[in-house]
Amino acid sequence: MDTVSERIDRIVDEFVDLDGRENYCSTLPTDCHRSRPTIRPASSKKIAASTSARRRSISGPMTLVAEVAEEAPTVKGFVALLAEAVAGRPQTEATEIEDDLLDRIGLTDVLGMLRSRGLRAIVGRVRKELLEAG
Amino acid sequence: MAHYADPDVLVSTDWVAEHQTDPNVRIVESNEDRALYTQGHVPGAVEIDWQVDLQDQTIRDYVDRAGFEKICRDNGITTVVFYGDKNNWWACYAFWVFKLYGHPSCKIMNGGRKKWQLEGREWSTERVSYPPTSYTAPEQDKSVRALRDEVLKHQKAGKNLVDVRSPEEYCGERLHMPDYPNEGALRGGHIPGAVNIPWPLSVNEDGTFKSARELEKLYCKTNQLKRRSPTIAYCRIGERSSLTWFVLKYLLGFGNVKNYDGSWMEWGNCVGVPVVKGSLPEGGDPPATPLPEA
Repeated sequence: MDTVSERIDRIVDEFVDLDGRENYCSTLPTDCHRSRPTIRPASSKKIAASTSARRRSISGPMTLVAEVAEEAPTVKGFVALLAEAVAGRPQTEATEIEDDLLDRIGLTDVLGMLRSRGLRAIVGRVRKELLEAG
Repeated sequence: MAHYADPDVLVSTDWVAEHQTDPNVRIVESNEDRALYTQGHVPGAVEIDWQVDLQDQTIRDYVDRAGFEKICRDNGITTVVFYGDKNNWWACYAFWVFKLYGHPSCKIMNGGRKKWQLEGREWSTERVSYPPTSYTAPEQDKSVRALRDEVLKHQKAGKNLVDVRSPEEYCGERLHMPDYPNEGALRGGHIPGAVNIPWPLSVNEDGTFKSARELEKLYCKTNQLKRRSPTIAYCRIGERSSLTWFVLKYLLGFGNVKNYDGSWMEWGNCVGVPVVKGSLPEGGDPPATPLPEA
């Protein structure tokens, strides 16, 4: 089975030749649907919730569960990529999720600086919570 | 106050549905999440992104007049109706930038994406384009925008300041909205003298704006803001406060209201400006180093 690092490389390969917002918009949400069972919508009462990513892992193979607002398909799709990368792999491999993932898949220019900062923060939060799970 | 001060700036979802093919109306979607437009938008709507399209990508500022004119030409802008996600935050932000460049005919679709969705209306995935038009914009209208030094003078003069962020941000417990990554400023808190009126208090569950009577009670009675007093609204980056700016200026008829788009991302990182932590009542302004004249 591929390591987290190898899976991330494969995901990056899917995105690296894409160019522009059309490709991002059509590719990232598709990945969201691919991992739909792990993604649950947040409560509609959480008006401002858009990056409420959380993990659930019981010491061993990782499973990433996230609550993401309905109006945040980019976050949903991005977290779905992370979920795909870590699913079933040992907890120690969470360190293989690197901060530059967003840059590697080429979304920074399309999203703009503020959105990119938010998604980078999600990477850090997901990695931290995966490592602390137990 | 039984009616909005300027009801013409708000249009209903019915109105938009009836004007989808009106050549004199351009429907514009502006969202926090760019993928929403691709997943589905009001048929005939174009997308103008508040960050990638409306902002300069190098300097922290908006596109210059030529850049704004290009956006308007490329999208065949005439009468423009904005709508979007997050109860129209970004729609109001785009509306505000258009007013900054003096665009005469701007409207907001009351309720935004949320209401359109709740009503089960049609979504389109077709990205549309329109024949370019000629467009000439005036210089920026400074009457809608407050910059840092003006905010400092305004604060020292004890004039209306409205912090529209969450109570946690206002108190300095957080540097961003709850559930968002907590990053962005070196200091937390609020500008001394600012009242905290979180933006969600201005909207209903379906995304529409509250009635004139409810808004009047919230802003003018409970929080004692005076219509004739110069007023500045701010948040973290100026988007939530553009919604409050819209409410104060167009729905309540405040005569002199500005949006401080630098907001907490500037103020909370700025050397020497006064900051208060904690909730009201405040115990007076903290000492602060005077800023050099700009």
